[in-house]
Amino acid sequence: MGVESFTFSATGMSCVVPSPDGDREIFRDVGFSIDGGEIADLVGPSGSGKSSLLTAFARLNPHAHGTLTLDGRDSGGFTPQRWRRSVAYLPQKPILPGATVADAIRLPWTLAVRDDGEDAAMRTASTARSTKTPHGLAWFFRTNDRRARDLLPDSRIRETLDAMGCEDIDLSRPPHDLSGGQAARVSLARTLLTNPKVLLADEVDAGLDDDNAEKVASIMARAAADGMAIVRIRHRPPDGRANRIATLADGMLTMREALR
Amino acid sequence: MTGNSYNIDVWGLVVALAMVAAAAVISELMRINIGKTLMWSACRALLQLCAMGFVVGYVIRANNVWLVFAVIAVMLVAAVQITLSRAKGVPKGLAGPVLLSLTITMLLMIALVTELVVRPHPWYAPQLVVPLTGMLLGNTVSALAVGLSRFYESMDERRDEIDTMLALGASAWEAARPSIVSSIRLGLLPTTATLASCGIVTIPGMMAGQVIAGGDPINAAKYQFVVFAAIAALTLVADSLIMAMVYRTCFTADDQYKPAMER
Repeated sequence: MGVESFTFSATGMSCVVPSPDGDREIFRDVGFSIDGGEIADLVGPSGSGKSSLLTAFARLNPHAHGTLTLDGRDSGGFTPQRWRRSVAYLPQKPILPGATVADAIRLPWTLAVRDDGEDAAMRTASTARSTKTPHGLAWFFRTNDRRARDLLPDSRIRETLDAMGCEDIDLSRPPHDLSGGQAARVSLARTLLTNPKVLLADEVDAGLDDDNAEKVASIMARAAADGMAIVRIRHRPPDGRANRIATLADGMLTMREALR
Repeated sequence: MTGNSYNIDVWGLVVALAMVAAAAVISELMRINIGKTLMWSACRALLQLCAMGFVVGYVIRANNVWLVFAVIAVMLVAAVQITLSRAKGVPKGLAGPVLLSLTITMLLMIALVTELVVRPHPWYAPQLVVPLTGMLLGNTVSALAVGLSRFYESMDERRDEIDTMLALGASAWEAARPSIVSSIRLGLLPTTATLASCGIVTIPGMMAGQVIAGGDPINAAKYQFVVFAAIAALTLVADSLIMAMVYRTCFTADDQYKPAMER
C-alpha cells in the first residue's frame, strides 16, 4: 500500500534526547499511518516514548525527526502552525487559560493561523465578520477576543458541548472551578472544535473515573465516525473502540488489528 | 555654576565616612554582620564618584566630540555587563541584543532630549550629554535586567500553557506574548511609580542637585521633567526592543518550545 493512500503517515521517525550522561535514543526508524475515521491506540510501558512519538507527529518535538505526510503532502510544505492545525496534539494536562470556560475554549480562534476562515466551525459562525484585524504594531499585540467571539459565540460552544454530553459544564464559570473530568472534556472539546484531520490524544482519560473516561471515549468515537483520524495513548484496558493497537516498546513500534 | 553654591571640603567627606563607620559599628554590635560590606561599599562609592567627577571634569574641559563618545561607549559596555550580571536565569549570548537595544535608546535620547529640547552649543555639550546618558543608562539597565529575568521566568512557568498554545497552532510570538507583556509591564513599574510620586514624596536627585548647586528651582523642575519623560518613554523602547530580539531564544526554528537548559 502506498504512503499516499493514507490520511496521515509517518516514516523513519527517530528521537534522540540529549542528557548529561550521553544521548538517549527513545525510538528509531518508526513508521505509522492512519486513515480518516480510524482510531488507533498507542500502548506500551511508561517511559517507552509514546508521548514523544505523538509530539513528533505534531512537529512539536525538537528531538525527533522523520518524514511526515498529510493527504500525501510532505510536512515541509506546511508552516508549523498550519501543520498543527491539521494534526492536533492534545496534551494530557488540560490547560485552560482565560477568565471563563468559554474564553478557554475560544483560545484557538484568537490565533493568526485561523485568520483565513477555513475551519468548519468558523464557516458556520462567520456571519458576523465585522471586526477588522488591526494593522501595524497593534497587529502584534491584538488579542482577537472580539473576533473569536464572533467566530465562536457562546451559543455555538453550548450546542457543541451539549452534543458531546457535557451539559454539566457552565461556560461562564472560571476554568479553575472545573473538576478534573470536566477540565479534560473541555480541553478535548476545544481541540475537536478546531476540526483537525488527525487528533493525537495523549492519555486524556488518565486520572479520570470510569464514568468520565467513558464520556471522553464516546466523544472521540463520534469524531472518528465523522471522519477524523484519532490516535490515543491509553493505559486503561481496551474499550473496544480502537481499530488497531500499536505497541511501542524498546524503541520499536508493532501494530496489530484490534479485537472489536 | 552661577548663583551661590556651597563647597564640601575634605572634612565634609570625613564626616560622611564617619557616619557610615558609626552605622557599621552599630550593625556589628547588633550582629547584623553587614558592617564590613557597608564600609567597603562606602569607600568604593567615594572612590568611584571622585573618579567619575575627575573624568567628567576632564571631558567638559577638553570639550572634544570624540572624547564624549568614547566616554559614552565605555558607559554602554559597562551597562551591558551590569545588565547581564543582574538578570537572573537568562541564556548566554545576550550581550549583542542588550548592547544594540541600549545603543538605540541612547542615540534616541541624544537626538530627542539634547538636540530637540535643550539644543546646546556645541551640539555635543559634554556637561549635558554625559550626565544625561548616565541617568538614562542607569534606569534602562535596571528595567532591562528586571524585564529579562521576568521574561525567562515567565516562559519557564508557562511551559505547559505554551506547549498547549503551540499545539493549537500558535506562532512563537503568540505563545510568548503574555510573558513579553508582563515583563515589559514589570520593567516599567519603577519608572511609572517615580513619575507619579516625584514632587510630592521626593525631590528627585537631579533637581535636588541643581537646586543645591544654586540653580533656579523652576528651571531645575523643567529639566527634571524632561529627563523623567525621556526615561519613561525610552525605557519602554529599550524593553520592547530587547524582547523583540530575544523571545525567539525560547523556541526552535520549527516553533517548538526550547526548555531553559537547552537555550
